[in-house]
Amino acid sequence: MREEKFTIVNEQGLHARPAGQIAKESRNYKSKITLTIPETGKKSDAKSLMGIMTLKAKKGTVITITADGEDEDAVIERFGELIKTGFGED
Amino acid sequence: MSDNFKGMGAIPGIAIGRIKLVGQDLTKYLAAYKPGDKAEELEKLNKAIEMSAEILEKNVEAMRAKGQDDQADIMEAHSMLVQDPMLTDGMVEKTEELGNAAEAVIASSQESAAIFAEMDDDYLRERAADVLDVGKRIAKVILGIKEPELGDEKLILCGYSVEPSAVAAVPDEKIAGVIMGEGSTTCHAVIIAKSRAIPTVVGLDKTADELPDGSLAILNGKSGEIIVNPEPEVLADYKQKLKKIQEDIARYLALKDAPAETKDGVQIQLACNISSPADAESAEKYGNKGIGLFRSEFLFMQSNDIPSEETQYESYAKAVKACKGEMCVIRTLDIGGDKPLPYLNIPKEDNPFLGYRAIRISLQHKEIFMPQLKAILRAGVFGPTGIMAPMVISVDEVLQLRGVIREAMQELEDEGKEYSKHVQVGIMVETPAAAVMTPMLGKYVDFFSIGTNDLVQYTLSVDRINPNVGYLYNHFHPAVLQLIQRTIEAAEKHNIWSGMCGEMASDPYAAVILMAMGIKELSMSAPSIPRVKEMIRSVTYQQAKEILNAVMDLENGQEVAEYLHKALGEK
Repeated sequence: MREEKFTIVNEQGLHARPAGQIAKESRNYKSKITLTIPETGKKSDAKSLMGIMTLKAKKGTVITITADGEDEDAVIERFGELIKTGFGED
Repeated sequence: MSDNFKGMGAIPGIAIGRIKLVGQDLTKYLAAYKPGDKAEELEKLNKAIEMSAEILEKNVEAMRAKGQDDQADIMEAHSMLVQDPMLTDGMVEKTEELGNAAEAVIASSQESAAIFAEMDDDYLRERAADVLDVGKRIAKVILGIKEPELGDEKLILCGYSVEPSAVAAVPDEKIAGVIMGEGSTTCHAVIIAKSRAIPTVVGLDKTADELPDGSLAILNGKSGEIIVNPEPEVLADYKQKLKKIQEDIARYLALKDAPAETKDGVQIQLACNISSPADAESAEKYGNKGIGLFRSEFLFMQSNDIPSEETQYESYAKAVKACKGEMCVIRTLDIGGDKPLPYLNIPKEDNPFLGYRAIRISLQHKEIFMPQLKAILRAGVFGPTGIMAPMVISVDEVLQLRGVIREAMQELEDEGKEYSKHVQVGIMVETPAAAVMTPMLGKYVDFFSIGTNDLVQYTLSVDRINPNVGYLYNHFHPAVLQLIQRTIEAAEKHNIWSGMCGEMASDPYAAVILMAMGIKELSMSAPSIPRVKEMIRSVTYQQAKEILNAVMDLENGQEVAEYLHKALGEK
């Protein structure tokens, strides 16, 4: 199992489009992927668009990605990059 | 006897078709449903989810193949929701609890929708409808309800709440119109209807569920009128109108690449008004030359905070690129007490139209104005661009504006960002003060664009939306015409260009006299362009001059309009 923290940098936070991207891409991995907001304790399965949107992650929010499975390294690398580059939005 | 109803016009056009009630109430199906044991119910649920996902995916593919991207995007979101663990896990839990898959699906989607409905974001709130739609879709599979049979006649889909999937499921050749009880014009069903130009009336409230299923109806998507079971002569009349509209559309589209010039070769630029870069793309089919008004407010209104320089830059750059070498005029933030931004804390005012708004706000809030100006200057790299300030009343404001623009350039210089030094600076002439001052203002700007909606309102002291005085609103009022003529002449004297971006620009009769006054550009909503172009191409410049001379002697707006219709014929 791997776990890493990232900070949301894009202006609009995890709104519909980036949330959709996470939900869609997480289907490509075998690992069980969970997103957690340490500050509020809210959790969501990364495959759930609705769950991600209800995390209400805004710009500056810290988010923990937990991946458990054979491709967990690839998950952390890919999702970390998505978040760090602001989902290509800004 | 025919029955008449009236709602709000949402998407203009005339539709004739059979009413098809689609806001399906599942209550009686749910009551008749006999659930099996728990294992069977869970099995049914899983199958129904799988099947719904499959159907949605197929729909998305078919829509993409037809180029219906707006609709496909929405259905794709539904397809993701159907497979969303948060939603489906909830359905499984509820099924275990209730032992009834159909009830469970509805209950669980209502619970999830309630979460969305409480969010403090308009976009997410409206997604509640999508969640309910998805739930109903799955429930219908479990209940064995077939989608409506599509006969040979065109349908008018009707219901208090018409689900986006209901509109999306009916192909163009089968759908005539949409009637909704709800009043929203931004819900997904309406967005889909708009992207396919399906005439739509909203706001009929509960009546929408009570219209007689299967009856013939006429719908006017502009006025909001609905006639159920029309008399034969009324029907014939509307069929005639519909035929004319279809002929006009064909004729207008054929005009797309024809130049906007008079019979004797005097040209005028016909540009379009947009609210987002996406509008610029959809405008192309009407043959616009450039953008005469980009309302930058949309960027600010759809955001929870002041949009960053980068976000704005991206939008402006897209619009400038879409102009393909023609001018793109971007209006700086035009807001006030009547259209407030929650994050700006503009106090409520008794008289917002005479209050703290537009350039008055921008000049006092550099933290808002500076990123906007920098974003426009940077977008200018991609083609001819103009900065247009709204609500100007004095030379002083223009000098201040120029000062802030110089500062913005200096900042860009210091940051090493690429920008254009040739971005034009102009003002919207929409206050009587600005119109009277144009001979002086002309020294300091690169263009004037006349905003007639406010200019008429301020000049005549008439609030056009007030039903008691709305009839006094007339852009042919001699006072308005004289202010416009003065503005155009001042522009000529200073060797700068003049245009118009208010609603008057889309009036083909007005276009003739404006052209004769010497206006260089008319900017309007894109679908109006062909009509104006057709009028311009039907006259000579000489003729237009003679008509102008005659109308400038007339003493009231009504006479001017009558004279123009007589001289130019009904178009």
